[in-house]
Amino acid sequence: MRIERDRPDDEIPTSSMADIAFLLIVFFMVTTTFTATRGLDFALPEDDDNPPVIEKEESVLIEIFPGGNLVVDQNPMKLGEIIEYLKPKLERNPKKPVIIRPDVATEYRHMVEVYDELRQGEEHGLSEPINISVPTQREIQSFWY
Amino acid sequence: MKLKASIEHKPNIPTASMADIAFLLIIFFMLTITFEVDKTQVQLPKTTLRYEIPKKAAYVSVDPNGRIRVSDGNSQSSLVSAADEVLSMAATVIATDPQKTFVVKSDGDVPWEKVDEVLDALKRAKVRDLRLLSDQRTVDDL
Repeated sequence: MRIERDRPDDEIPTSSMADIAFLLIVFFMVTTTFTATRGLDFALPEDDDNPPVIEKEESVLIEIFPGGNLVVDQNPMKLGEIIEYLKPKLERNPKKPVIIRPDVATEYRHMVEVYDELRQGEEHGLSEPINISVPTQREIQSFWY
Repeated sequence: MKLKASIEHKPNIPTASMADIAFLLIIFFMLTITFEVDKTQVQLPKTTLRYEIPKKAAYVSVDPNGRIRVSDGNSQSSLVSAADEVLSMAATVIATDPQKTFVVKSDGDVPWEKVDEVLDALKRAKVRDLRLLSDQRTVDDL
């Protein structure tokens, strides 16, 4: 007669492993927040005690008023027209500083729009990146007046 | 003649590799996860040009009400009452790491005056690498 022997199970029970793993996946998927981690680099001019003196006439002044109204060298202008206006000036002097001066009450996004537009000068056919300068109110008060 | 009993097949789904796949996904999520240091809800300005911001950057956020929060990139952002506190925080961070990236995360409708104060503080703290956080501008925005 054959003796029936109770054979012990020689397998590692792994069926619940996947459950645990998927639980962890769900946790990571729920807690991961896809955030905006991209933006524009903003070159700060060196905080120099003796900054180079720029005559107002040597530069292009872009004033931004609340609502996004632009005044470039005293001429009202639309955002898309700035580069065309700058082209002949910058061809003569590619280092010509372009100063962005938003009004204190201007919404921040309008300043970013203008800055973004000027940064794309090379895509619009300029030979060199535009020398953009965004002076802060403190600098304007201490050096311009 | 005695018929041979048919071999009984136990229904079995092979799940051994399931855990491997799952753990692979876990490792992927663990490596890609970045803990947000600043949870301020803002409507970012939109730009055409956007560049990747390095991880562990210090954040200065300005919410729609003009409240400023700062984070050194390691801990959660905290509310500050004036732009002068941004200067002291930035100066401390720059003292330990002069090349530290600073990110300005400001709502698009905040008056320039407020952002100007923040930029001025960062400039005085001698921040060299500054980024303006933005959303992608699409054709619909034009």
